[in-house]
Amino acid sequence: MFVVKNAWRNVIRNKGRNILIAIIVAIIAAAATIGLAIRQAAVTARETGLENTTITAQISFDRSKAISELRESSSSSDSSSSDSSSDSSSDSSDSKPDFDAMREAMSDKQLTLADYQKYAKASSAVKSTYYTETASLAATDDFQPVEDSTSGSSSSSDSSSSSSSSSDSSSGSSDSSDTSKSDANGNGGDGQQQPGGQGGGDMGGGMGGMTMTTGDFSLVGFSSDEAVSNAENGTFTMSDGEVFGYGTDSDGDVIISKELADFNNLSVGDTITVENASDSDTTYKLTIVGIYENSTESSNQMGGPMRSTASDPANAIYTSVSTLKSLGLDADSTTETTDSSGNTTETAAAQLNYTYVFSSKDDYETFVSDVAKAGLSDDYTVSSADVEQYESSLVPLNNLAQFALTLLLIVLGVGAVVLVVITLFNVRERKYEVGVLTAIGVKKAKVAAQFTFELLVVTMIGLALGAAGGAIASVPVSNQLLAAQVAQQESQASSQNAQFGRDMQGPGAQGASNSASSDSSDASSSSGSSSSDSSSSSSTSGSSSNANASGANNAGRPNGPGGMMGQAVSYVSNVNATVNLKIVGQLLAIGLGLTLVAALVAVVFVMRYEPLQILADRS
Amino acid sequence: MTATTATNATSATTAAKPILELDNVSYSYTKGGKKVLKNITHAFRIGEVHSITGPSGAGKTTMLSLISGLANPTEGKVLYNGKDLAKQDRYDYRSHDIGVIFQSFNLLPQLTVAENIMLSMDASGKKFDKPKKELAVDLLEQVHLPAEYANERILHLSGGEQQRVAIARALSYGPSVIVADEPTGNLDMGTQEDIMSIFRTLAHEQGVCVIIVTHSPEVAAASDEVFELAPLRRR
Repeated sequence: MFVVKNAWRNVIRNKGRNILIAIIVAIIAAAATIGLAIRQAAVTARETGLENTTITAQISFDRSKAISELRESSSSSDSSSSDSSSDSSSDSSDSKPDFDAMREAMSDKQLTLADYQKYAKASSAVKSTYYTETASLAATDDFQPVEDSTSGSSSSSDSSSSSSSSSDSSSGSSDSSDTSKSDANGNGGDGQQQPGGQGGGDMGGGMGGMTMTTGDFSLVGFSSDEAVSNAENGTFTMSDGEVFGYGTDSDGDVIISKELADFNNLSVGDTITVENASDSDTTYKLTIVGIYENSTESSNQMGGPMRSTASDPANAIYTSVSTLKSLGLDADSTTETTDSSGNTTETAAAQLNYTYVFSSKDDYETFVSDVAKAGLSDDYTVSSADVEQYESSLVPLNNLAQFALTLLLIVLGVGAVVLVVITLFNVRERKYEVGVLTAIGVKKAKVAAQFTFELLVVTMIGLALGAAGGAIASVPVSNQLLAAQVAQQESQASSQNAQFGRDMQGPGAQGASNSASSDSSDASSSSGSSSSDSSSSSSTSGSSSNANASGANNAGRPNGPGGMMGQAVSYVSNVNATVNLKIVGQLLAIGLGLTLVAALVAVVFVMRYEPLQILADRS
Repeated sequence: MTATTATNATSATTAAKPILELDNVSYSYTKGGKKVLKNITHAFRIGEVHSITGPSGAGKTTMLSLISGLANPTEGKVLYNGKDLAKQDRYDYRSHDIGVIFQSFNLLPQLTVAENIMLSMDASGKKFDKPKKELAVDLLEQVHLPAEYANERILHLSGGEQQRVAIARALSYGPSVIVADEPTGNLDMGTQEDIMSIFRTLAHEQGVCVIIVTHSPEVAAASDEVFELAPLRRR
């Protein structure tokens, strides 16, 4: 009691110094409050954002890793490979990579349906799964694909490059990649991995849907309604008829787009005949049970002269996987293609696109670890477009959280040092007092307790003031900081776009610069035309995330517009950095911690002092 | 003098019994170093004024430190009421049983006179039958200081006045031993006489054992018993 009374008297007595300490503590506390608030807001945004939303994920083959491994023997550079594939004129350059060996090695890595299903069973976290298989079909005289004026040049480029495109398709299909790429750049998959590695684009490697480098139609088989509703070309509505069933009794039933139906003057109930894309002797008869209209059609328009007819969403024929299987066009079947030099390559007849659905991000993470346990090798990556999309929208917030942590640590470090130094001087200054007190018989522990209590009173006052100030300031300050971060992110992205746009003019350096200029690049990989750029960016901003989880969830189908989602992310631009009891608690803990550290110094000094020594020095 | 303080513990009936004894005490500041005190044996009794004299460097202040429990003897024992001081809580001893008047007073300059006195009362942890402030004023009267000094800052007092406050503080919790280090060192003759009379009153009327370290012959002459410390032989 006497200690407390004495301490309180001393606090009152040394107003000046104590006010100084209180101000310092208040500043530390205010900075710490803001830092804690930002961190908590970031953590909350990250955790709750995807908490109750459905997440889809794919397993994809990490080609960049495999290729870099394969290429360690041949010392050709990355750019030459992507160059040579996208621009055959540079193929004649000296160090030519051994494409065939690489393709072969990579095609072995292709996962089969059984593999995918095995991994789905390996984890209990999987809520459901669905998959699509995409095969290509060629037109017959009766049934022609929708083509507009630009696609004329596209088809000519198709045919001109058809010799190489068959081998392209082999690599393309075996790699199961190349989302929505037009064929000229089809092998630009090499180039695309770089942006893929940057985050959102990685699914470009894994989503492997629409790359039909040959053929006029893409025949897409769906495993379930869930797969249909997540169709790569976007959601659609039935304008006539109804969606096919999934049993074997529905084999041969297809639905086609309204454009295609109108183009060929077809209606529900008609049958169409299509050819096998690689073997014109084989034809298939399909029954139209419905006509659909893409509701997000515009988002998928590739535009530009390079697109192929098969990749035009209008030319997508939807059916069940069962139909594909009955036609021998599923992913487990193979087709033989013969390229111009007479080599016969065997490739899967369809590309498999297997999607796992999870009810939360935690389940997704469980799945990632489960499949690793189940024997999925390092060559494959599990990626979720939803998660990546959401996380890329969190980039500024994460940066800010990082910044806040740094700020917090610096403030705490400086604060601790300042507090310790002040206490140190304080105790030294009051050495005489310590000597007198101990000489008249006050125990050292009591003296130390008195000093600690004094410091505690002062820091608690400072802490209260600082917490109040920080609470008031945290919301505007953190939003201000976040806005700066977002602006920085956006200017980075736009400068990359600008750089990319320029570099696109030079065809030779294109591949290299494409792969080098990272994330935002893939948007216009097929052509540098600004029209495709703007359309894709508008599509992404349309369907993609806004800060909230629901927004990010709606973008759960980013495979629709292909690997372009990485481009126009609307960043989380508002955090709710309010100060709550938890933060006050943390602050109190920090304040007590700092006080105790400082008080410890005081205690050590007090304990070291011998009253006799002090008083002897004095006299 | 009939001043009432909290001290009135024992009367002169036990005058002959030594309250504090030095038993063959030696002291050196560093281990194995020069001995400042060597084989001192002496007994201090209550109700008497003792003087410790000797030339500079004879170890007067060191002896006072040993008596007041600020230091422990290197060899030998200091006995308080027959018990070895080294085995007791010396903080309790200092705050309860002995009042020390330091040469430099060791008052806290930022406190008032009354606060300094009350601090010692608080530190002793003893219970008092009157408010501490009143006791402090009584003590001021006892050391011949006017009551209005109670709220004066120590720094505003003269040396002689500070000396009296230091005495008042030492008396405040009623110790049975009062130790004073050169209490008259820088005081004029009149004040010196007055302070000595206070000490004599304490010893003779209140049964306190007063020990004064001094090199003043007048002070030594005014005390009941003189213990002369011989200078140590130089080595």
